[in-house]
Amino acid sequence: MSDTKLVNLTIEGRAVSVPEGTTILEAAKFAGVLVPHYCYHPGLKIAGVCRMCLVEVEKAPKLAPSCATTVGEGQVVHVYSQKALDARKGVLELLLINHPLDCPICDQAGECELQDYTFQEGRADSRYHEPKRFNPAEDFGGDVLYVTNRCILCTRCVRFMGDVAGSRALCVEERGDRAHIGIAPDLDLSHPWGANVIDLCPVGALVSKDFLNKARAWELDRTASVCPNCSQGCNVTLETRDADVVRMKPRSNATVNQYYMCDAGRLNYQWINRDDRLELPVVAGKPAEWDAALAAAGKALKGGAVHVVAGAGLSNEALWLLKQACGTGLFRVAQGPEAPLAGVPDLALRADRAPNGAGAELLGFRRADQPLAGAAGKVVVIVGDDLDGLDTSALGSAAAVIAICTVVPKGLPAGAILLPMANFAEEEGTFTNLRGRVQRFLQARPTPGFARASWTVLAALGVAAGTGGSFATAEAVFAALAASESTFGGMTYDTIGLKGQVAATAGVNA
Amino acid sequence: MSHGPSATGGAALQGAPHGHHDDPYVPVLTPGSTPRAKLDDILSRYPTRQAGLLPALWIVQDERGWISEHAMKEVGDVLGLTAAYVKGVVTFYTMYHQHPVGTWFIQVCTTSCCNCMGAEDVVKAFLQQTGCGELGLTSPDGKYTVIEVECLGACGFATPIMVNDDFIDSMSVERVPEILKKYC
Repeated sequence: MSDTKLVNLTIEGRAVSVPEGTTILEAAKFAGVLVPHYCYHPGLKIAGVCRMCLVEVEKAPKLAPSCATTVGEGQVVHVYSQKALDARKGVLELLLINHPLDCPICDQAGECELQDYTFQEGRADSRYHEPKRFNPAEDFGGDVLYVTNRCILCTRCVRFMGDVAGSRALCVEERGDRAHIGIAPDLDLSHPWGANVIDLCPVGALVSKDFLNKARAWELDRTASVCPNCSQGCNVTLETRDADVVRMKPRSNATVNQYYMCDAGRLNYQWINRDDRLELPVVAGKPAEWDAALAAAGKALKGGAVHVVAGAGLSNEALWLLKQACGTGLFRVAQGPEAPLAGVPDLALRADRAPNGAGAELLGFRRADQPLAGAAGKVVVIVGDDLDGLDTSALGSAAAVIAICTVVPKGLPAGAILLPMANFAEEEGTFTNLRGRVQRFLQARPTPGFARASWTVLAALGVAAGTGGSFATAEAVFAALAASESTFGGMTYDTIGLKGQVAATAGVNA
Repeated sequence: MSHGPSATGGAALQGAPHGHHDDPYVPVLTPGSTPRAKLDDILSRYPTRQAGLLPALWIVQDERGWISEHAMKEVGDVLGLTAAYVKGVVTFYTMYHQHPVGTWFIQVCTTSCCNCMGAEDVVKAFLQQTGCGELGLTSPDGKYTVIEVECLGACGFATPIMVNDDFIDSMSVERVPEILKKYC
């Protein structure tokens, strides 16, 4: 930073020093002052079209759009002076002229910047009595519905598709009061990253077809999590209504996914809520108490050589406890086509369609297309793999089968011991993404029935088998993991935080 | 008031008699063709290919009478622009036709001075005598489309009209048949 020239200015009475070339809006953000804005977005090019970020700069002849004005030495900026407030009130009044004010039926209500800023500094009434412009809603393809009347033409979507996604599918059509977002004759938003325009849209103009009319924003609980659908490990927020995840939204992380997530990840969440779950431990085909089931499993583990099949969706904690209880084993990772986001380095929907393949490898598990190969005659422990699409004939001749699972895998022999576990949204833990970044996810919904968190089950299994210790929290499991695995040395839940931390010797660290 | 044939969603779109198909699309700017030579000559005067967009669209409109979505894509391909960008430009300007118009495109100025001098009557006379009936619609014989325009810059000679590229001033209701006879 020594070669960067700092500029000193005053914003709302606060002295700020920021690097030369910073915009007033960003400097204000740095000083903790929010300048209202629509077209500005930190991930997009500056447009300066919405005029919502007008601020008063002393000695300047007129108000300045703070998103497009760079700081100057000695500037004195007033964000909330009467002059600036009046100007923004005028901007809001104009933005609302053709806005349908249909907040009661709009999905964006409650998380709408037009609502927020109007409430904050707009007029309480309207002076516009003429008929409003009306345009029908338009299906933009992918998950995106364009409700033309609500649009304020900030062009965030146009800039995202053109500059970040690299597919100039959108444009501003027409002009003046007839202007609206148009779609190219030969393209639509079925782009792998197209649905990000929904998050970028500050108003209810671009809404998700998947989420349409499902819930009001203020009814949702939000939990920090990590997308489980590929090895990129995009930071996400799981939004739940009652106990169900109703949508998944990107959570910004400058190192991993900036502000974005792909459509494939975003829309693949329904399985989290599936209700055909295993809710009780099962021994010899009959429901059993946890203690009895764990005792049976511990006894079975001593019955011979153990073959472990792990899921690539298990947390680091679960995998490590599994390793303590039964040793390492094999895991498989579903594959799919890779889909990079052109404008962001090292961000893609990855071919590995599971969140923790890298973590499993760092903990000593090995990748295999047929993880059941060599299982015949052994005690087979299956954790977090539904065996879908696998040849399960080897299980018929296994000495014993213990399945720790969310749903009952197909092809299990009748005598298998089943232990119900939580899925990732129902427990706490960490995933390691493909760049070796360890990231925490938190519990977003309750575990169904008598199921327990995967780390609870596996810790208890270790105790029952006499090979592992007991743990009270996921954090304690991770602390023990970090103490025994040098790769994770020195890491704790505190150091990882909610933005992740790169494992020490991950090697592939970018 | 109609926004003319370039406006989408209005009467012009729903009522246009020709339909708006140009399948299969025959390219206008094929290498070696006269329109392409014209465009290449224009492009030689500008630092970027993007700068040739407006003239390129004029060339297409001169050849085809209107600019279809296929044509937007063709122009975009020739100039290294995306179809969406070209569409944004075409829809911004009202003088590019997004739908077919009549052989003779009649624009009548109805701004203040002309209005005082009876421009509305001139418009009505044209609509009646061409058979268009409504602003922005094309006459059943495909010959005429009539629209109102903002100031044509001849306030001292109200009412001016334009028939395609021809400028005619001091129009009156009486002169309408004479004009239609000339352009038929």
